[in-house]
Amino acid sequence: MRPRQVIAVLALTGAFVALYLTLYKMGVIGELSCSVGECETVNTSRWATFLGGPVAAWGLATYVMILTLAAFGVSERGEGSRKISWALVAITGWSVLFSAWLTYLELFVIHAICIWCVTSACIMLGMFVTSLVDLRGRIGGIEE
Amino acid sequence: MAGGRDAGKRKRPGVVKKKKPAKSSRGFYLLLAIIFIGGGVWLATLASRPKAAPVQEVDVTAAAAEGYLAGNPSAPVQVLEFADYECPACGQFSLVTEPDVRRRLIQAGLVSYRFYDFPLPQHKNSLQASIAAACADDQKKFWEMHDALFFNQPEWSTGATTNPGKFFQDYAKQIGLNVDDWKKCFEAQQHLTRIYGNRKEGDRVGVSQTPTFVIGRKKVVGAIGYDEFKMYVDSAAALPPAPAPAGPKSTPKQ
Repeated sequence: MRPRQVIAVLALTGAFVALYLTLYKMGVIGELSCSVGECETVNTSRWATFLGGPVAAWGLATYVMILTLAAFGVSERGEGSRKISWALVAITGWSVLFSAWLTYLELFVIHAICIWCVTSACIMLGMFVTSLVDLRGRIGGIEE
Repeated sequence: MAGGRDAGKRKRPGVVKKKKPAKSSRGFYLLLAIIFIGGGVWLATLASRPKAAPVQEVDVTAAAAEGYLAGNPSAPVQVLEFADYECPACGQFSLVTEPDVRRRLIQAGLVSYRFYDFPLPQHKNSLQASIAAACADDQKKFWEMHDALFFNQPEWSTGATTNPGKFFQDYAKQIGLNVDDWKKCFEAQQHLTRIYGNRKEGDRVGVSQTPTFVIGRKKVVGAIGYDEFKMYVDSAAALPPAPAPAGPKSTPKQ
């Protein structure tokens, strides 16, 4: 499987995690399924909102954006585009930084861990590393 | 390099060769489809999971604690709410459904409504919130404090602060309490007996999660919407009323 395909798969998986948390914030899902940690404590804290919207909804939008980019990047039209690789590195890089900040808040400010948030942070990190691999493969020449 | 034909070509930076769809593409799209369908089923299962426990009949004839009353105690239908100030679902009910309940049922004289504290142990600031509200009740402003606590829940809940008292004091000021009197009451943790009594009443009727409502004689769990709430009220109105527990009356503002 090629790097952009891996990114698309990870982004779709992450989108469902973010959608789950977003539906919880919207009250569609009664309580969070949380086998490890204290998901409700994290998701009802003041840091669960960013720029007026739930952090989970921002995450969902980010995953959808990455999925769209990666899916276009594996299509015939987008396959050759190096700009997509740069865009993926930029978006996933920013997302990793944001996820790291949220994880810091969980550990040292809220003192509670949300397993879904940690899962999302790991997916973001995986996408960032894969997007670096994708970019590295494209800088300097013909692919494959 | 793709194949033998390209073997002699020189690599040029920035040039990426168009290639045929890889064999792995089919597997890739299949995997996406599996994740999409699997994720959709997973979320649909979670969303359709009953948020409320089955409705049960409970005995409300011998209420030991008084709770906080809104409305006419001799209204045709008696409603008890057991809630935790830090519980998100309780906050959701308070903000979304309760305004309609007040305007269309309580103020219309159809329902007498009693709020019972049910502070859950995992919510470390909830008991203090109950004390803050009980102290506001001393000045006949329980419902104003109740509303302020739920409205501002994210800023004073356990995840946000270990010192919710400073926020409660701000609310006391905002709703026009005599802050000095309220503070004395709050710091002395007055009304703990009343709060524990309310909690014990919840234990008696079998409350296991919040919010739980007793509407007439039916126990309903979860942050239900107005239509569902009204359905239970209509159902209870068709039955002989249960005797209401005696207690002081507070009037909620809209």
